Amino acid sequence: MVQTIHRDPALFYWILFPISIVMILTGVLRHYATILLQTTPKKLTLPALREQRQLLHGINLRTNYSAISSASFAARKNYLVSAYKNGDFLKDPDNRGKPAGNPMTDPAAMEGMMGMMKGNMAMMIPQTLIMGWINAFFAGFVIMKLPFPLTLRFKSMLQSGVATRDLDVRWVSSLSWYFLNLFGLQSVFIFILGNDNAASQMAQQMQQMNPSGAGGMFQPGQDPDKMFKSEAENLEVVEHEYILKGVEERVLGLV
Amino acid sequence: MPTERELAISPIVQESVQHNTRVISNIRSLTASLFGIASGILGLESYAGFAFYLLGTFFVSVLIWAFLAKGKQGEYFQGPLSELWAGDVLGGGMSFVLTWTLFYGLVRA
Amino acid sequence: MSLSSSLRHSNSEALSLSQQSTQYLQKHTSTGTSTIPVPFISYPESTELWLMYEKLLLSCLRAGDDKAAHLCIEKLIDRFGATNERIMGLRGLYQEAVAKDDAALGRILKEYDEVLAEDPVNTPVAKRRIALLQSLSRTTDAIDALTELLESSPTDIEAWTELSDLYLSQSLFPQAIFCLEEVLLVAPSAWNIHARLGEVLYISVTSSNESADGKTLAEAMRRFCRSIELCDDYLRGYYGLKMTSDRLLSAFPDNSKAAGQILSTDNGELPMPSTATVRKLNEKATSKLAEMTRWTTARGYNYAEVVAAKELLDKSTQPKQR
Repeated sequence: MVQTIHRDPALFYWILFPISIVMILTGVLRHYATILLQTTPKKLTLPALREQRQLLHGINLRTNYSAISSASFAARKNYLVSAYKNGDFLKDPDNRGKPAGNPMTDPAAMEGMMGMMKGNMAMMIPQTLIMGWINAFFAGFVIMKLPFPLTLRFKSMLQSGVATRDLDVRWVSSLSWYFLNLFGLQSVFIFILGNDNAASQMAQQMQQMNPSGAGGMFQPGQDPDKMFKSEAENLEVVEHEYILKGVEERVLGLV
Repeated sequence: MPTERELAISPIVQESVQHNTRVISNIRSLTASLFGIASGILGLESYAGFAFYLLGTFFVSVLIWAFLAKGKQGEYFQGPLSELWAGDVLGGGMSFVLTWTLFYGLVRA
Repeated sequence: MSLSSSLRHSNSEALSLSQQSTQYLQKHTSTGTSTIPVPFISYPESTELWLMYEKLLLSCLRAGDDKAAHLCIEKLIDRFGATNERIMGLRGLYQEAVAKDDAALGRILKEYDEVLAEDPVNTPVAKRRIALLQSLSRTTDAIDALTELLESSPTDIEAWTELSDLYLSQSLFPQAIFCLEEVLLVAPSAWNIHARLGEVLYISVTSSNESADGKTLAEAMRRFCRSIELCDDYLRGYYGLKMTSDRLLSAFPDNSKAAGQILSTDNGELPMPSTATVRKLNEKATSKLAEMTRWTTARGYNYAEVVAAKELLDKSTQPKQR
């Protein structure tokens, strides 16, 4: 039996569109608010900069060694390995051997964590606000029919406020329109706000998974001396292969 | 995965890979919304609607393959099956469902 | 640092840009300086606008239009404040350009030193200081300052290329090659750096007094091959390949003796290529260069480079005609 409910078309103009528009606008607002709330990355002192960049140097050597000859590579490797082992580049040579700084007390780490927390807040507050607003104003009735069927378990979630037993699950309340918008508008945000915008939920989740952020290479709690030593070991293991070996045959084969 | 030596000889530029994925993602979301509008207006119900979406996406993928990748999908993508043909179908699916529901409700009145 | 990328405009582009500068500056007088941005009346601010101002500043200085340059730098200072590192670097650039004599340049140098004493990490000012030392012809000082900069920032490829140019001007070839190799460690796919390295190797061979060093020539040739492998129609790569292979063929007409000597001392270095390979590469380079000289600027090649390629081809065909 097909259940039909006659509804006033004015319902759409007063409910569906306002909810969508509000969600788009809050997304845009959230994006700009995140940009404005971002703190400028903290400036590093010269020894700290040197520490970071020399480690990068070692990593570059390990990754791109094929571009230089084995003699040059050996020279650089020896220099870097001995420098790493001696701790020449450390910004605090006296701190060697001490356990890594507690994330709570290290100020640089605090900034990274604050940034993450601000991002999370910026995500959650508008969501909770809008859900509260919808429950206050748009509760207690079904608004539309979904074009596809769902299982009965969703009935309680999507038909909140309408306590009937045999109303088809396809009739849903405005809260479900909110959920549909939440997921569907992400691509709209990508269109209007450029690619890495703060309004997109998926980008937020991915950001939470790698929280390296503006703190640079040394995440809170990592000991630079250990990182240097492990990098030195990696460099020792490298087997050098010269990209220029056999290049002339490859070029002749290119035509 | 190409060997390390092959990678050193002809490197994979991260920026280009990102650009290609972005193009695909943009096209998918745009066409998904349009397909949603179409199937809402047509009044398609559950399975018919999803089938329409999948067919349409497949058609769009064929067009991408023919015109944008000029048939040489191996040059543009590392795993063409998962990137060109099935790339971002679920994300587009969200936009599809959104516009489908909206227009279904609007038109069916 | 975008300072170097803005310089990639050719001289004629810079001139045309600076000539349009007055119109541009008038059109945008209200941008960015109003406290309440009124939409649709003043242009909205964007990052491109300020990058454009930077480019405009550089083009005006290149074309000699100091007044327009002054306007640009004033606008940049208004927007970003005089303590912004990049603005300080641009301001220093402007002051150096309008300085009247060496004494004024000396004063600017002292200013830089003061700024750097307070804040040693100020990279734009440090780089400006090195450039100023170069224009005062204090090359050894510039080299020292650059090495110090690179000790703390070994991943700065702009600095490494500048250092290699400085070493090259002093004919210190092994050091110049070292610097270019550092650049390759950061950007191994940069075919222009491979070509540059090949050129430096070739120059080191031609300007040394000993007879043609086969190993270095072979290495130069291989560098050019790599640059061609990375970029199919790189004119400089083919040019270099042709020059090195010509020289190799004239120096080692038959490969049996010379190659045998080198092969026996293969200490991790690569063996000499056979004459047949060199000849094939030479033919490939010649034919490709001939093709490119026919296309000229229609395919986006630099006109000066194409003319040079034509000359090279004519020079090599003439002996054959005799």
